[in-house]
Amino acid sequence: MITGNLKSSYATDEQVLNNRWKRLFLWLCIAGLGLIAAFGNNYIILIACQMGIMLIAVTGVNVVIGYTGLMSLGHAAFLAIGAYAVVIFHNAAGAIIPESLLTLAAIPFAVLVSAIAGVIVGLPSLRVKGLYLAVATLSANFIVLFLIEESFSAPWTGGVNGINTPTPNLLGWEMDTRREQFVLIATLAVLGLLAAQNLFRTRVGRAFIAIRDRDYSAEILGISLYRYKLISFAISAAYCGLAGALFAYFYARILPEQFELHLSLMLVAAIIVGGMGRTMGPVFGVIIIVMVPELIKVVFGALAGGGAELAMIRAPIQEIAFGALIVGFLLFEPFGITQIVDRGLRALNRWPFARG
Amino acid sequence: MRLNRRHFLATSAAATATLGAPTLLRAQPAEYVIGASLPLTGPFATAGQMVAPALRMFEALVNEDGGIGGVPIRVTAEDSGYIPANALANYQRSLATEPNLVMYFGDSTGFMKLVAPELRGPNARLMGSTSFASELADPVNNPYQYLPGPSYEDQFDILLQQVKDEGGSSVAFIFSNTEFGRDPIAHGRARAEELGLQVVLEEATREQGADIPTHVTRLAQSGAEYCILQGYVTGVWPQLIGGARQFGLPTRFMGTFWGMENAIADRVTAEAGPILDGYSGVMPYKYFYDPERGPVYERFAAFQKTAFAGTPLENYMPTWGIQALFSLTIGIEALRRVADKGLELTADNAAEALSELQDWDTGGFFGVPVSMVDNKIGTGRVYQYSAETRLFTPTSDWFTV
Amino acid sequence: MGQLLQYGINGLMAGAIYALIAVGIVSVFKATRVVNFAHGYLIMFGAYFYFTFAVLVPQAAWAPEWLQSWRPDWMIEMREGLPMFSPLAAVLDWLANGPRILLGLAGALICNALLGLLIERTLMRPLMGQSVFAMIMLTVGLISILSGSAQLIWTSDAEFVPALAPNTPIRFELFGQMIFLFGADLANMVIALVIFAAIVAMVRYTKSGVAIRATAEDQSTAYSMGISVPKVFSRAWVLASTTGAIAGAILATRNGISPALGLFGFSVLAIVLMGGLDSYLGVFLAAMIVGVLEALAQWQLGGEWAEIVPYVAVLLVILIRPHGLFGTREIERI
Repeated sequence: MITGNLKSSYATDEQVLNNRWKRLFLWLCIAGLGLIAAFGNNYIILIACQMGIMLIAVTGVNVVIGYTGLMSLGHAAFLAIGAYAVVIFHNAAGAIIPESLLTLAAIPFAVLVSAIAGVIVGLPSLRVKGLYLAVATLSANFIVLFLIEESFSAPWTGGVNGINTPTPNLLGWEMDTRREQFVLIATLAVLGLLAAQNLFRTRVGRAFIAIRDRDYSAEILGISLYRYKLISFAISAAYCGLAGALFAYFYARILPEQFELHLSLMLVAAIIVGGMGRTMGPVFGVIIIVMVPELIKVVFGALAGGGAELAMIRAPIQEIAFGALIVGFLLFEPFGITQIVDRGLRALNRWPFARG
Repeated sequence: MRLNRRHFLATSAAATATLGAPTLLRAQPAEYVIGASLPLTGPFATAGQMVAPALRMFEALVNEDGGIGGVPIRVTAEDSGYIPANALANYQRSLATEPNLVMYFGDSTGFMKLVAPELRGPNARLMGSTSFASELADPVNNPYQYLPGPSYEDQFDILLQQVKDEGGSSVAFIFSNTEFGRDPIAHGRARAEELGLQVVLEEATREQGADIPTHVTRLAQSGAEYCILQGYVTGVWPQLIGGARQFGLPTRFMGTFWGMENAIADRVTAEAGPILDGYSGVMPYKYFYDPERGPVYERFAAFQKTAFAGTPLENYMPTWGIQALFSLTIGIEALRRVADKGLELTADNAAEALSELQDWDTGGFFGVPVSMVDNKIGTGRVYQYSAETRLFTPTSDWFTV
Repeated sequence: MGQLLQYGINGLMAGAIYALIAVGIVSVFKATRVVNFAHGYLIMFGAYFYFTFAVLVPQAAWAPEWLQSWRPDWMIEMREGLPMFSPLAAVLDWLANGPRILLGLAGALICNALLGLLIERTLMRPLMGQSVFAMIMLTVGLISILSGSAQLIWTSDAEFVPALAPNTPIRFELFGQMIFLFGADLANMVIALVIFAAIVAMVRYTKSGVAIRATAEDQSTAYSMGISVPKVFSRAWVLASTTGAIAGAILATRNGISPALGLFGFSVLAIVLMGGLDSYLGVFLAAMIVGVLEALAQWQLGGEWAEIVPYVAVLLVILIRPHGLFGTREIERI
């Protein structure tokens, strides 16, 4: 039975993963991902890639909603910006930069552009919050997509027709299969999660939490609301930009309509389900949000056997299930799956002396 | 053409396939799978739900004829909700889970364009679709996708020519703000200019729930003699025409394939009166009620009578169903030709067989033999709706563009 | 100049409908402090209920003949020999549809009221006193549940529904420019404005209206003064869902019926915030402004631009006035 974590130096107390179980868990996860990369079949790789991209984006949303307490319903816009930034960068700089370095330059470029966009979209957060901010970000989502679709940007973005995307190339390693791309996505997802975990040991991360808990109090404590709210938006947009960049590499063509409001809502739903303001929240959330529709699909596929009558009600049922997940968690488990997991672990820890 | 890496891969894969295939002696699989994404929900659900049973019929009839080279086929249909990304996910899932997937049927212009760059090497499959988007008829960059009729641009050409022939001088384009709607607009504008027609209005609307009064007002003020509608299936276009008629506008309306379904026109006539009288448009195929329908329609009709008794499909097959059936027929024909040669059913072999479909007797989909040129079949004719007979009847002969 | 008027009038007509939709969001917010992101989908349900009772039920085999099309002898006589699209013919056709329009409206009102009550009892009440975030996200979840259910119940199909008023064209000349209007649109505008005014008057002058305002001011004080707060909540939701039903019926006749109706909710949400969440006057002005701006954007820039007008407008307004045009500023204390 573990009753506590003995720390004999400040260094151990300051570690990103501050006990050995967490470190063990991390290694197990990496091993699991390695196994998937090596042995998973195409279908598993496909789903895992989608989850990885979502995970990075949801981690970003978690920074702004979960840690800083700012409502945002427009983060799909940052994915769009990241994705289109990569494509435009490849098309524009393809002639200057050698192909083997292009990806290494394009991803930071996309992240940077998204972060700048994040600061711009975050500007209303200086004046408004809560509901008003939710609608402001939602409007930003509509407007960004409109700008991408309009004919004046069509030469770069392809307008409503979408645009073909490049293949990632890391120092000459051309990642043109899903399996190779999975390695890239999984690596970046794990690094992104660790970075998020690390962020909340720093001054910046703690400032975010102070703002979430009570913004005026935070201001009195000497935390500049303007500065940290914008930093929060920038960091979260950067995550989404990274996810968008990987999205562009993963799919051979991107369309504006892939980044519509529905995606923004999915990102927020994932952290509600997973647990806000917790590093593992996005992980659980993404697994549920991606797997539940997928499971419904598999079940219906088995039941319908290629017939259309049942297939017809599958999409509505998936949609209802998505809504029911949000509503159910809000009503019955507002802190999400992390809370359930915590309870389970605690019970395990104290067993057989106490439960719950 | 820029020789990029993807294209190089595709061609080299094609080369290895054609070189290596004859020497390969493969065990025949138990079945071949044809995947399909259909809009069973979403804005075009009406169409998708009527096409789905047609695919079941298609599966049964093909298997009656011995499938492909003696191997039966299985058709699986999934819902896309008319969202390209969903259809893409369906396709990727089918690729990952169905090892014997030989052909795919896509349900939107958006999906076909989205999936096109993914079709390379082992991920390529022969792919028909509901779309007549011009960009898809491009055997060089896009060898696996084909159109089962003339492209929207061709259809616009035909309609504009008709306007010209009737002595019209001004035309309006009203289209849904989707890829489907926008596809032929730029080309149509150029074509109209060539013909000396004035395009007085280009109006984008939502694909559902469009603000009808405003659009009609725009049309009224533009004073267009003719108006071509593009990018709608069941909604918006009848309301637009209804609004214009109630206004007493003399504008003549025209449509392309997806706005030419008799069942929709009948429903509109029943609900809103004879507003569609005189509406005309391009239709590549014979309607199901055509007095000279060929053996294929007869066979469908016999099947439908027993299998779909009590449903709207008992005595009628909508044009959407006909289009899907013909699209799949092309694919099956190509695959059978590949199988007859003893080759493996790869996408590259199938794509090559596509171009062999010349002067092909389709058994009654068309009134004339058709040819696959540049991955499309440019044959069709102009039909006009009469509210009295409640039928679309041909006003032109068969022509090939 | 004439053109400007034409689009201005079109915009006002659209704005009136926006105002009618917005009144539902504002009423619920005033009473319960919940901003209903799913209001557009309530409207969609209203439209589908109207469709059910005005089209599907009269078509059923058991429905009496007159319900589908009411044609007494005098009407057939008058209809005889009239040209297809003459104004009188339009009025007569509308009269023939009278029974089913009434049935449709009644059905939509009742069913939507029940739906509103159901949502309030099962979903909103347990969350009383929770954070803004939880409330908003609950209504966001509701969006998916409502739109999925609608697709399950009614296969999404754009059908014609009978217009609420005779749809005779109205044409007149103004400043040398022909102005075109639809009769039904004018009638819809009048209906929307009358309902809007009635609700504002109700909240101002009736007892239950005062209860709503009291609850909005301070829930616990209202409670202790003997106002049944849960009842106020229910009333507000019923009010929102019934106005939504009428808005839905109007939108269905204008734009055809489809799941896309739900998207109206988002642009109206933007309008509501632009006007100031708790101000009927502000919301009314915002609705009219956005309606006109949309029509002008449609005229000058094309259809795609019109769709983002509400969002740009709300962003600009809340950057300058964070609580909307006429919203009350919230004072926060630590």
